[in-house]
Amino acid sequence: MAGGPPKALPSTGPHSLRDMPHPLAGSSSEEAVGGDSTPSPDLLMARSFGDKDLILPNGGTPAGTSSPASSSSLLNRLQLDDDIDGETRDLFVIVDDPKKHVCTMETYITYRITTKSTRVEFDLPEYSVRRRYQDFDWLRSKLEESQPTHLIPPLPEKFVVKGVVDRFSEEFVETRRKALDKFLKRITDHPVLSFNEHFNIFLTAKDLNAYKKQGIALLTRMGESVKHVTGGYKLRTRPLEFAAIGDYLDTFALKLGTIDRIAQRIIKEEIEYLVELREYGPVYSTWSTLEGELAEPLEGVSACIGNCSTALEELTDDMTEDFLPVLREYILYSDSMKSVLKKRDQVQAEYEAKLEAVALRKEDRPKVPADVEKCQDRMECFNADLKADMERWQNNKRQDFRQLLMGMADKNIQYYEKCLMAWESIIPLLQEKQEAK
Amino acid sequence: MEQAPPDPERQLQPAPLEPLGSPDAGLGAAVGKETEGAGEESSGVDTMTHNNFWLKKIEISVSEAEKRTGRNAMNMQETYTAYLIETRSIEHTDGQSVLTDSLWRRYSEFELLRSYLLVYYPHIVVPPLPEKRAEFVWHKLSADNMDPDFVERRRIGLENFLLRIASHPLLCRDKIFYLFLTQVFFFYLADSRLKALNATFRVKNPDKRFTDLKHYSDELQSVISHLLRVRARVADRLYGVYKVHGNYGRVFSEWSAIEKEMGDGLQSAGHHMDVYASSIDDILEDEEHYADQLKEYLFYAEALRAVCRKHELMQYDLEMAAQDLASKKQQCEELATGTVRTFSLKGMTTKLFGQETPEQREARIKVLEEQINEGEQQLKSKNLEGREFVKNAWADIERFKEQKNRDLKEALISYAVMQISMCKKVGFGFNEDICIFRSAYTFI
Repeated sequence: MAGGPPKALPSTGPHSLRDMPHPLAGSSSEEAVGGDSTPSPDLLMARSFGDKDLILPNGGTPAGTSSPASSSSLLNRLQLDDDIDGETRDLFVIVDDPKKHVCTMETYITYRITTKSTRVEFDLPEYSVRRRYQDFDWLRSKLEESQPTHLIPPLPEKFVVKGVVDRFSEEFVETRRKALDKFLKRITDHPVLSFNEHFNIFLTAKDLNAYKKQGIALLTRMGESVKHVTGGYKLRTRPLEFAAIGDYLDTFALKLGTIDRIAQRIIKEEIEYLVELREYGPVYSTWSTLEGELAEPLEGVSACIGNCSTALEELTDDMTEDFLPVLREYILYSDSMKSVLKKRDQVQAEYEAKLEAVALRKEDRPKVPADVEKCQDRMECFNADLKADMERWQNNKRQDFRQLLMGMADKNIQYYEKCLMAWESIIPLLQEKQEAK
Repeated sequence: MEQAPPDPERQLQPAPLEPLGSPDAGLGAAVGKETEGAGEESSGVDTMTHNNFWLKKIEISVSEAEKRTGRNAMNMQETYTAYLIETRSIEHTDGQSVLTDSLWRRYSEFELLRSYLLVYYPHIVVPPLPEKRAEFVWHKLSADNMDPDFVERRRIGLENFLLRIASHPLLCRDKIFYLFLTQVFFFYLADSRLKALNATFRVKNPDKRFTDLKHYSDELQSVISHLLRVRARVADRLYGVYKVHGNYGRVFSEWSAIEKEMGDGLQSAGHHMDVYASSIDDILEDEEHYADQLKEYLFYAEALRAVCRKHELMQYDLEMAAQDLASKKQQCEELATGTVRTFSLKGMTTKLFGQETPEQREARIKVLEEQINEGEQQLKSKNLEGREFVKNAWADIERFKEQKNRDLKEALISYAVMQISMCKKVGFGFNEDICIFRSAYTFI
């Protein structure tokens, strides 16, 4: 947003899988694989304001970090998955290495998807494929279709207003990459979704387009049956627990929307403040050219203000790149969850309608007809799946927002630390006594 | 300063009060006690500005401001602010101070005092007054002269003005200054010399040092004005940033109501945002103090320029006198030798109406010789006066330079300290946030 012209994407040559570091190996990898972060309670951060030192669970200090370390980047590196209690993970997925492809018809970006797994569903232990956004979009639709009782994570927004945002700028592509990586990791974490055939194909197929065209729909029994639920059934009352979820999601999305607007406004104000600061500093420089003894002090103040301006620019960039996308993602998530709730209502409505119809027939047969039983099954499975997914979602949400809010507080602290250092460093310069000229 | 031959128009030397003890001892002691950064103190009552006024130590303060209504010269009702000037003398032995004088004055009376000083101490860089109208305001501050913040800052500025005069080795002994502090009725006729300062004229042989100084003062004025303007805009924008953060307060609070584990963290974050947003008012108020320090030197640049102008005026005067003398000499010579080289009305009429008699010519030569004599005397004294002015002016300019460097360094240091404490306070607040988030979460 605030910054120079968009940087060109780096183009990396073909990368051997062997060269790729294992996702969980050391601090040199960009992203740790796994679910959402649960930083160890012992992880503390060094600060000028707090007196705690950087401590890792194994007692060492992270390689390649210089203090003051950012808590969010550290948390990324030391992600421990808390979803699978003690269970060993057998599937790792990473999205990285965006590349621009220029063709006659269009220009687009592809991302490299690297998969490592010991699961039997995978023929090879490792895969590396390239996918573009529309492939992700396809995957999501397929998941929604085939797993309608589950909450499918959201994708970053599909449409981007051309001319306002540069689709090929490094910042935009990196933001998108992170979101896509998160999307796949959430599916990877999911005990049901991660075994989905479409997901498997997405991760492994050399030619995804061919597969898409074949239209092989390997629907699960549940998917098929839910798909055939005819609409038009009206639910009288939503059960309390699902109504509570619905209300919660409504308020949640509303509040996030407000926060998003406020954050955007803050960024706008900060940018305008930055513009003025960039004019303010140099005036001290101009003044210093008129002076003798005061020349150095004034020049020092000018440089100091320049440093603060740069620090502020970094802060606004961080807000744009790290804070806003997560807010938007959760708003999208809430929307898709609400539609799943509606589908659940449909299933319940069908069941209740059929049940009522049976009751009205006034037959003495104690046995409930098979199809009504099927409906009941369907409803109960749906409810169970949804409840499990909601709990998982709540956990993830807590982790994500904790990380997000702490991260933002941390970024702010870094900004004030940089300013503090700048001003403290010129005090001795200002107090210096010069020899009489 | 050596006294030149009396000239009622120009040589109105203020009569210094006779010191009670030996005059030299008093002067020496007064010079020794220079105030350090008199501009920084917000109240002159606590920080002593010792002034060996008649060998006694006095303390000056502008302690109060009051709104008044009265009738102006055109018999119209007007509202103005009056300021209370209190003078205390400090007994040497026990350090107790006794109120000796107190009176109320308004801004225009301070202006009169300053005009007087400008005229009668032409070689001195006269301390400036605080601004007449609020300038360089950012949106929050009212541009209204009755605004309490403006009045308060003006009170401090007026006190600072008096303290600067009291600490000046020469100005502190001025009788009119004493009367300003003690006499309720203060009456002073504006001198025509003051008007002359604004006249335009050209000097043939300008003194390079004064020309350079004039340029410096112009440039200083320009750069400080620019600085103050941009600073006001910066303050305005910073205000916006802080206040928008305040909007988070309510929404975080509302959000915390629907959350279980996250509730506490969100609530505290919301509260912190409110605190953050309200902290800007104090921050910017402190910064106004810095702006005032800069403003003082903006106006000081004007005073510096005035000294240069006075020198130019003197120089011009000198050149005119020299020119006048030279032409009279030439006239005399022509009369004596009979050659007419210069045009004169007398010469023309002589040509038209006949030569004048030798007696007439003799009479004229005698008058001219007298005038030449007088002119030479005057030129001598003007030259002397000029040299004295330059010597004294440069002495005061050097003193001013030292003071300026000291004061501005102090101002920059206090500005840096302000920024540092602000960073620490805000950073600490955010750190508290992180601690609360960390502790408020329970892990599964």
